[in-house]
Amino acid sequence: MPLNTSASVISFAKQLEADSAGFYEKMAERYPKAAELFLTFSKENNKYTTMIQRAYYGVITDAIEGCFAFSVETDKYTFEREPAKELGHTNALNQAIDMEQKLISFYTDAAEQSKAFMADVPRTFLIVAKKRKDREDKLRTLLEET
Amino acid sequence: MAILEEPIKGIVEVKNYIDGEWVESEGEIQDVVNPVNGEVIARVPISTKEEIDTAVEAAKAAFPDWRRTPPVARARCLFRLKELLEANFEELSRVQTQEHGKTIDESRGETRRGIENVEVACGIPTLMQGYNSEDIASGIDEYLIPTPLGVFGIIGPFNFPFMIPLWSAPYAVATGNCIVIKPSSEVPLSQMKIAELVDEAGFPPGVWNVVNGGRTVVNGMLDHPDIEGITFVGSTPTAKDVIYPRCGATGKRVIAQGGASNFMVIMPDCNLRATIPALMTSFFGNAGQRCLAGQNAIVVGDDDRFYKEFISGVVDTTKKIVIGNGLDEEVQMGPVRDAEKKKKILSYISSGIKEGAKIILDGRSDFKIKGDYPDTCFLGATIMENVKPEMKIVTEEIFGPTMGIIRVKTLDEAIKICDDNPFHNADAIFTSSGRTAREFKYRVKSGNVGINVGIVAPMAFFPFSGMRDSFFGILHTQGKEAIRFFTESKVVIERWP
Repeated sequence: MPLNTSASVISFAKQLEADSAGFYEKMAERYPKAAELFLTFSKENNKYTTMIQRAYYGVITDAIEGCFAFSVETDKYTFEREPAKELGHTNALNQAIDMEQKLISFYTDAAEQSKAFMADVPRTFLIVAKKRKDREDKLRTLLEET
Repeated sequence: MAILEEPIKGIVEVKNYIDGEWVESEGEIQDVVNPVNGEVIARVPISTKEEIDTAVEAAKAAFPDWRRTPPVARARCLFRLKELLEANFEELSRVQTQEHGKTIDESRGETRRGIENVEVACGIPTLMQGYNSEDIASGIDEYLIPTPLGVFGIIGPFNFPFMIPLWSAPYAVATGNCIVIKPSSEVPLSQMKIAELVDEAGFPPGVWNVVNGGRTVVNGMLDHPDIEGITFVGSTPTAKDVIYPRCGATGKRVIAQGGASNFMVIMPDCNLRATIPALMTSFFGNAGQRCLAGQNAIVVGDDDRFYKEFISGVVDTTKKIVIGNGLDEEVQMGPVRDAEKKKKILSYISSGIKEGAKIILDGRSDFKIKGDYPDTCFLGATIMENVKPEMKIVTEEIFGPTMGIIRVKTLDEAIKICDDNPFHNADAIFTSSGRTAREFKYRVKSGNVGINVGIVAPMAFFPFSGMRDSFFGILHTQGKEAIRFFTESKVVIERWP
């Protein structure tokens, strides 16, 4: 589904964060050894949502291209909301890494598309993308240790 | 994606806010209709002369104490208001969409810009400082004290029900004046919501009043001897023929902002990828109902290849605009405010065709509404080629989602078209050449000039400018000019023998 307006992209980002938080909560339940890390990720997602919402509400103005700032194809970035039941820990971690990569790609693409229009929003998107890259690295380390 | 929840449920009975109380009016009652679906969302009174008089009396009575209230204390009221506006940001934005029809992005943008004016006015302790000269003669000092004047009237339009009264109101009260706001009777809910927050913020009774209505209230303000000045935003005929002369006749200060017919000058060296989204929001944002909207694009040069690329880019992007309920976050253009306004826009399109313009995208019929809504107030975006500067669709304000395209050979011709137009609110140029941009900026006689910016909306700390038939007065709303407008310069020359 294509999204062009700032409002719809921000809502989509918030949904992705909520879905990803839910995913890590399930991971924490299923793999108690790394539960602390997964719950930290889940909490961080709430922080990202606040950051994104704050940036958007802070810069949205009738004078910029709010309704024409994006061209986001949502299908590219959607992921399973739960780790697949039949997966072992290793595959579940791979699923998490895959999810992080999709999210990094969403935030990077959305930042690029809106950089001429949205002031703080692309910067916030890039901060979240960077944090998620750090998270991906942590997941890879965990994968190696498994 | 889901449609956002409507904040207004049922039918709101709008009251006047006078002297810190919500007061029922004796006047006639009019329906306020959501343009998306035709549902009545509120009933607004058309207040009487006695009611505007009562509000002015209350404001006049509140003035002496408010004027004596230290600017830092007045600023604290504004800080509290700012916090309350932030806390209610989303509800305030959705109310605008519901009463006006604009998209939620546009409403949130309007809320932000309104709040920015409150933020600027919070700086009143420094903004209102005067200046002095020591020893203008032996042992004599001279200084200037900006002083408030009393009661001001603020008359708002329908197109920005939340923001536009805030171009004036925070500065008026910050400087120590008291105000009476008359919102547009088509969209009274935003100002009602603001007044609720003003009340909660603890402004003393009588400082901030809202009287709903129409001509009787406007006439009551214009004729009232205790109103020191008026700020008005609306159509040029009203600004020019009613507000401005009548304020002059009664010795009132006046800011009268009128209509516009703005030009977007497109140079062949512009970055089309960035220009086209800017034009979309300029021409079709707020369904074209804003005095800063582009009305005609002037494409410069005889490069046919560029022209074709420009036209196909603009038409293809315009065709994809999602039209529907502004509370649907995917929607890029909402309806126009009411059926009468739609009719007027349609008549301008017909007039353009009659005068020789060629329709290349027909917003009268060639559009689809997302969702199941009646087309009563909806229009698609219309693009017309072969437009000439003398056509009515150039010389008059359409206030709808239309784009006329004029082709000229040189920048000189483009500037001449801008300058020959009766309005001079906002003109913009799209170019990658600094020299061309400077030439345009220097020569064009427009109050607000854009360079690669389609909506030339000054921030709260700059005046909202405008010239010729777009503005009547001297000082403008917003920022330092508003502070100047709402204060008199008292000069003191002092000697202590």
